Amino acid sequence: MRVENLYKKMEKSIIEGNKEEAERLAREAIAQRLDLNEVINKGFVPGILEVGRLWEEGEYFLPELLTSAECMKSAMSILEPELIKSGNKRKTEGKVVIGTVEGDIHDIGKNLVAAMLTANGFEVIDLGADVPLNMFVDKAVQEDANIICLSALLTTTMIGQKKVIDILKLKSLKGKIKVMVGGAPVTKEWAERIGADGYGENAIEAVKIAKYLMNR
Amino acid sequence: MQRMNIIKINEFIVDINPDDLIRILGLKRKKSSKKEELKKLVIKEIPEIKKLIKPRGIYRIIDYEETNRHPIFNNAKKVALAICTIGPELERKSSELMRKNQILRGLIYDTYGSEAVEQVACQLDRIISNKARKMGFWPSKRFSPGYGKWRIEEQAFIFKVLPGEEIGIRLKSSYMMEPRKSISFRINFYSEPIQNSKKSMCSECEMKNCPFRNEPVKSKV
Repeated sequence: MRVENLYKKMEKSIIEGNKEEAERLAREAIAQRLDLNEVINKGFVPGILEVGRLWEEGEYFLPELLTSAECMKSAMSILEPELIKSGNKRKTEGKVVIGTVEGDIHDIGKNLVAAMLTANGFEVIDLGADVPLNMFVDKAVQEDANIICLSALLTTTMIGQKKVIDILKLKSLKGKIKVMVGGAPVTKEWAERIGADGYGENAIEAVKIAKYLMNR
Repeated sequence: MQRMNIIKINEFIVDINPDDLIRILGLKRKKSSKKEELKKLVIKEIPEIKKLIKPRGIYRIIDYEETNRHPIFNNAKKVALAICTIGPELERKSSELMRKNQILRGLIYDTYGSEAVEQVACQLDRIISNKARKMGFWPSKRFSPGYGKWRIEEQAFIFKVLPGEEIGIRLKSSYMMEPRKSISFRINFYSEPIQNSKKSMCSECEMKNCPFRNEPVKSKV
């Protein structure tokens, strides 16, 4: 099969949310000894970008978005170990530390953002929910992360987002590590007031903002 | 805490229509093969989901004089405070599925849980409202801390009156309940009929983009 046809099939498998097909095509690329970074960037990535576009146009809904994100993650879990074996590494969009702030145990929204960031090529370190505020900064420093994503679902816990930014300021890391905030009570105004670098109203917007912050 | 008048209930019926679940998951406006696929998946998951639901509720009726005199209780003769939950197992399973890259299944479990605890709260509401009527009072609609002017911090008062831990609910310092799929609320008992008693909680709330909204947004004139 011509490599361009293979890429088209990969793109289609992500758009249609066909996990088995995406996994099969990833294995086929390995068997054909193709350049796996090219396979990711020309085959699978256009698929997830198209899914994002379809979602923005109102054509796709959350279940389709998530199914495609699952497919992308499955294909990557086959390709990435092979890349490492061959001494390469997937070129990521950036490294993100994500979690729900201390005192808050909601994690669904945060999980959706993490899934979409992963599907769109970010390396995501998910700290879970109810994360001590210092841990966000410590982990970001330890992992040399570019962005910290802070989720909060209550007005009583969103203050934790501000406190993490204060910790970054204290450690002279503000600006070096970017901060994105999100969650039901969080608004663009709140993000600006506390000095966050970005605010995503939903998972797709979060991906866009993260990409923008990486290029700034 | 007085042990008097604390009533625990373990018998609730939880039964969510798959079509309702799909609507909440966001496929309400669409007719497609994807919708049928999703419906099949939901129907397949429901028996497993139901095994993980352990509904429990607790309530207590107190006199107005025993409240903390918050304006939310104004004009009530008595107040019922209530907490209910579907237990921690479903949300644990949902998180586990998401960790295993089964994000959509995880979301289906979580969404079912949100609807399930809402059904439990509705049934507990009916039990309490019927009791109010038998006692000769007019019950208000139920209302939860965190909505309107009843701040989330008022959870502390509810948990002072009710032993939440007896049905497995813990109040965190952020006033969030654990398990997440829990609801706390109050129903005021009035001695005279009250206006708007049939209106839903949505009519009091101004989150105009909420996917669960079933009332028009109140205009600010």
